[in-house]
Parts: sequence; structure tokens; C-alpha cells
Amino acid sequence: MPGLVLAGIKKTYGPVTAVDNIDLTFPKGKLTALLGPSGCGKTTLLRMIAGLEDPSRGTISLDGDDITEKPANKRKFGMVFQSFALFPHMSVAENVAYSLAIAGVDKATRRARAEELLDLVKMAGFEDRRIGQLSGGQRQRVAIARALAQKPDVFLLDEPMSALDAQLREAMQVELRLLQQKLDITTIVVTHDQREAMTMADQIVVMSNGRYEQVGSPSEIYHRPATAFVASFIGKANFLKGKAKDGGVDVGEFHFRPEPAASFLNGSAVQIACRPENVTIGAADETGPNRVSGTVTFLRDIGPTREIYVETPVGSVISEMPASTELVFAKGETVSAEFPAHALRLFPDTGDTAGASHGSGAGDRKVTAVSDKRDVAA
Amino acid sequence: MSYPAVSGDIEVDREAGKGGPAFAAYIRGLGPANIIMGVITAVILFVFVAPFLLVIVVSFGEKIEGASWVWGFDFSNYIRVFVGVDWPNSVTLLYALKLYYTLAYAVLGSLIAVGFAFPFTYFMTQGSRRSQAMWLVFVLASLSMSEVFVVMGWDILLSNRSGLPALLKAVGITSWLKDTGWLAVLRDWDLASPRNVKFKTSQLATVLTMAYLVWPYAVILLFAPLSRIDRSMIEAARTMGAGSLTVLRTIVLPAVRLPVLGSLLLLFVYLLGTYVSVTYFAAPAHQTLPVSIYESIRGATLNAPFGAAQAVILLITAGIFIGFSLMLARLAERKA
Repeated sequence: MPGLVLAGIKKTYGPVTAVDNIDLTFPKGKLTALLGPSGCGKTTLLRMIAGLEDPSRGTISLDGDDITEKPANKRKFGMVFQSFALFPHMSVAENVAYSLAIAGVDKATRRARAEELLDLVKMAGFEDRRIGQLSGGQRQRVAIARALAQKPDVFLLDEPMSALDAQLREAMQVELRLLQQKLDITTIVVTHDQREAMTMADQIVVMSNGRYEQVGSPSEIYHRPATAFVASFIGKANFLKGKAKDGGVDVGEFHFRPEPAASFLNGSAVQIACRPENVTIGAADETGPNRVSGTVTFLRDIGPTREIYVETPVGSVISEMPASTELVFAKGETVSAEFPAHALRLFPDTGDTAGASHGSGAGDRKVTAVSDKRDVAA
Repeated sequence: MSYPAVSGDIEVDREAGKGGPAFAAYIRGLGPANIIMGVITAVILFVFVAPFLLVIVVSFGEKIEGASWVWGFDFSNYIRVFVGVDWPNSVTLLYALKLYYTLAYAVLGSLIAVGFAFPFTYFMTQGSRRSQAMWLVFVLASLSMSEVFVVMGWDILLSNRSGLPALLKAVGITSWLKDTGWLAVLRDWDLASPRNVKFKTSQLATVLTMAYLVWPYAVILLFAPLSRIDRSMIEAARTMGAGSLTVLRTIVLPAVRLPVLGSLLLLFVYLLGTYVSVTYFAAPAHQTLPVSIYESIRGATLNAPFGAAQAVILLITAGIFIGFSLMLARLAERKA
């Protein structure tokens, strides 16, 4: 089943390009997260899908039908807004049944459907409350119920958790995911929170500067980031800059050898990314490939893991080891840090990570992203 | 260590207050700002309250035929407004009718003005900043025209020889109306002569001119609340299947119902005092209290106490209308 397909979607506001040439497939019944820093174009993309903005170029199709020109009120896409956008002059039940009232459904059926949906989002008994009497979490549930009332073909959520406190957010992420799986509805969630995307999504689209960097499952995105930007935006990573040499990378005097060997031209600028949990710290006298010695500068225990900051000749390195580990290090101690060959990811050094995401290298990176997309969307 | 010293000072002040005459101490304690405020308050009270009180007092006075009027205290001027001068021998509703026309024109004029301004202003706020600015300049410019100027323009537009009726005749609509029998219907409505459509004099022209007069105010009063509406509410309604007009009716109007009511009340009160439009477009039998008040005070009849009584009744009626509307609004709010 084709689901929702975007082809060559572009949106410009005068000289500013908000979304640039996006090809994406949102598989039927799956939850896709559009993830990226603010200003990356993810909300604009969602609004174009909803019909609230017209694309400057490209087509949107649903199950093979071109819906690019279809206005928002004819699309039958349910949307949850960042501010929830509930109607303060209506009761909870009237809010939920609004789309049905517009469609001319009779009062009794509307009421029954509102009760059913409110029960689904665990808000039974709140039918006659005013919106002003609800908490943030309750408002979100009502907004979700309202968006689902018209049995939408596609369910859209724009930063749905951003108005909730941290604890409620975690619970709602799980709940929303369960609800989506129960209803088996094609869902697109816009978020800037990578944890939220990882928790809920079948497919994550990482965006930056109006383009996508990578499309893939949460685990693919985390373990096999396609670009330096993805590696830095999703989770944490140690970045080491060097020059490619014979399938490996020279960082200062050290030579790193990844597995499989890199295919960069000798002498080209390369970045190595390695997740902190893959870096292991050992005694100073341990030797082996991809191992550098250094001095422990800082230690901290974060619940199940322990972070060890080591100053090495190749730069500062953070290692994350299980707190249960037998090894004990002290600040100032000389140690060695091992970067396992299989855990090294190499990227061209365009100076572009999430911290400096507005670099000029976006165009180069897209090449990798496209090939990734094909794998996942198929 | 400085705290005890401060509290000591306060004690000393309290002692001084007890010692001298309280009022003198109060005046001495006033700063220049208080004195200026006091003077301004006195001037405002004099300028606004004194004429108002004078009108009330005069309304109980008595006219001397062939001369001016004398102070007095009887309700005959008020009684005359409602049941005529010859009461209880006979009842004439001449002035009661004038009051009725005053209220009817003001209610209809404000309803038409707000009725047109509301969708216009809403769609204006949906436009680009540039188009909004241009429309606002246009609206403000039309505000700068005086009532006399507006009425003159409408007078020409609606005049039987050179205005709309002449145009209708020239393009053949008048003969079509005659053939289809609509002209007879329009005659029943006082909007046609045997030969052609006529707007002068008519109540329709009076009310339309009044509505046109206050329409820019309605736009300006509604612009701020309409541009403050949460856009995502409108977008949410659209994603749920509502077209533009449905959004306007089900989301926008309820969201700004209080500003709309406020605009209606303000324009209603403003239109109660309309003079020029009424004298131009309403037939003498359909004219309003303000015209009659002017006649009494400065015009043909020269009866200041009677004019004052009409003015007081107009004021009280407006007050009753506003009070009633506010009560309704409060009821609606409680229900919501």
C-alpha cells in the first residue's frame, strides 16, 4: 500500500526556502516522526500535508490520488496543534464532535461518538466540562479525541507534547503510541525531541535546513547515522577530526582503523563519530588498535551509567560505562580509551554537526540521505 | 542598625497628625500632583456634569408663549412626549413615534454596520500585513469625512434625477420592475413613485446612510479582537471540514461575541444622536427625537423645557437599552 507520498515538495517564502525538494513516503498505518531542530522546516512540511500551506512545487498523493490542490477542509486529515487549539466557547463533547456537526451528523450520534472517543482517551465523564476547566494533559487528550472524530485518513500532530511537563510527556508518548497502534492509522508527528521520536516512531525523518538528512527506523538512525549531523543530533557522540589515510584516519599522531575500511581519498578531511557507550576505558598499560592514552578529568554517575571524561592527545573524549563495572577510576589517573573499529562512523568533515547545523554542507549530505530513504520507504 | 531609627520617624509623624486639625494636615501633605489632579477633576465635573444637570433642571421648566421660559417643577413636558400636550382629553403619539424611529434607526444602522464590518474585517485580518495596512488607511480616511460630507455624497447617489434611480431607469431595470409588478411592491414599501424607484425620502436610505456613517468605526473596533484570534483555532476548524463561512460562523463569531456586542452598543449610542442624515433622508413623519430636540431649542418651535425633556428621555432610553444588553451579555457569559 502506498500510503502518503510526497514528491519534490518545495516551499519558499520570498527568498527563503523553508522546505527544499522533499521526496518521502509515509507507510500506511505507521507512525513517522519528523525530527529536527527548530527552523528545519518540519512544521512547514506538516502544514503542507494538512493543506494549511500550499507547496511552491511538488505533489502530495494519498493512496495514489493527487491531493496537492485539495483544501484542508476536504482532506479529512485529523490534526493536533501545538497549542491544542480547542474552542473555548464549546464544551468538551462539542469540541470532540465538531467535525461531525460540520458533516451534518445528528445530535444523538454526535454525542455517542464523542463519548466513545473520550472513553478511548480516558476522559469519560468530562463531556460537559468547559475547556477552561481542564489541565494541560486533559486538553491534549481532548485535542487527540477531536482530531480522531472524523476517522481521519492521516493523523497529524505538531509538537503535541511541548505544552506538557516532563513526567506527563513520557506517559503520553507511550499512550499515544499504543492508541496509534490500536487504531492502525497513518500518523505523522513533528517533534524536536529525539527521545520522543525514538519512543513513538516506526520511521524517523531527521531534518535540517529544509531537507532530510536521513530516513530510517529509530535503531538505524541511532546506530548507523548517515551524516555527522544525525550522529550529533540523535544521542551523543565523540567527534574526532582527521585526514583519511589508507582506509583509516589519522588524527594527530594516531591512526584509527574502522571496520569496514573507509573509502575516502587519502588526505581528505574526515570526521570520526563514536558513541560514548562504545568507548571503553582501560588501564594505561593496555595496548591495541584504536586505543589512545589520556587523563581522567571528570567523573559522574548517572543512575545506571557512569560518564568518564578523558583528555587525550586526539581531544576530549566521553565514555559511558555501566555503573556496575568493576573498574574504578580516579580523577587525574592515566588511562587508555579504546574506540572499537566496528563502532566508528566516518563522515566527510564539512564542519556540520547539530551544534553547528547551519553550515553549507547540507547539499552534499543529501546524497547519502536519498539512498537511505529508498531502503526504508519501500 | 538603621531600622529602629526609621520606625521612630513614623511614630513622630503619627504624633503630629494627632496634634493639628486633620484637614489642614491633609492639605499640607498633598503634593503638586494631587493638586493638579484635584483641579482637573473639578474642571471635568463642571464641564460635563453642570450642563447635564442644567438640562435636567430646564426640562421641568415652563415655556412662556411669545417669550422664553421660566423655572418650574412639573412633569407636563415629559407627559407631552409620551401622550401629547392635550392629555388627558386626547392622546397623540407624535413624540413617542419619534422616539420609536430614533431607536429603530439606531438599532438597524448599528446592526447593518457591524453586520458588514464583521466579515469584512475578518477577511481583512486574514490578508497580508501590506493589504491590512492599506485597508486600514482607507477606513481611517473615510472616517475623516464629516457627516455633512457623507450625507451630501449619498444625497447625490440616491437623488431621483441624477442618482441610482436615474441609472436604473437608463439601463432598463425600472421598466423590468414595472413589467414584473415589483414596482408596485416597492411602492408599498415606500421605495418607489408611480414612475420610478425612489430612495428620497425613505427609511431605507436613512438607515443605510447611518450605517455607512459608522461602518469605519465598526471596522476599527473589531480589527483588534479579530486579529488577536488564535489562528490555530481557525486552522483546526478547517482540518475538521469547516469552510471559510462555517469557520466564521462557528468559531470566529463566538470568539469575538463580546467585542461585537460592545461595538453594537457603541454605534447604537452614537447613532441615537444622528441629525443630518435624518433631516436629509427621512420624511418629516419619520423623523427622530434629535431633530425634534433641535427644533424645540433652536428651531421653529422654540420650547427649551420641552426640548430638554425629550433629551432626558432619549438619554434614559439609551441607558435602559445599554443596561439590558449588558444584562443579556452577562447571562450569556454565565451560561457559557
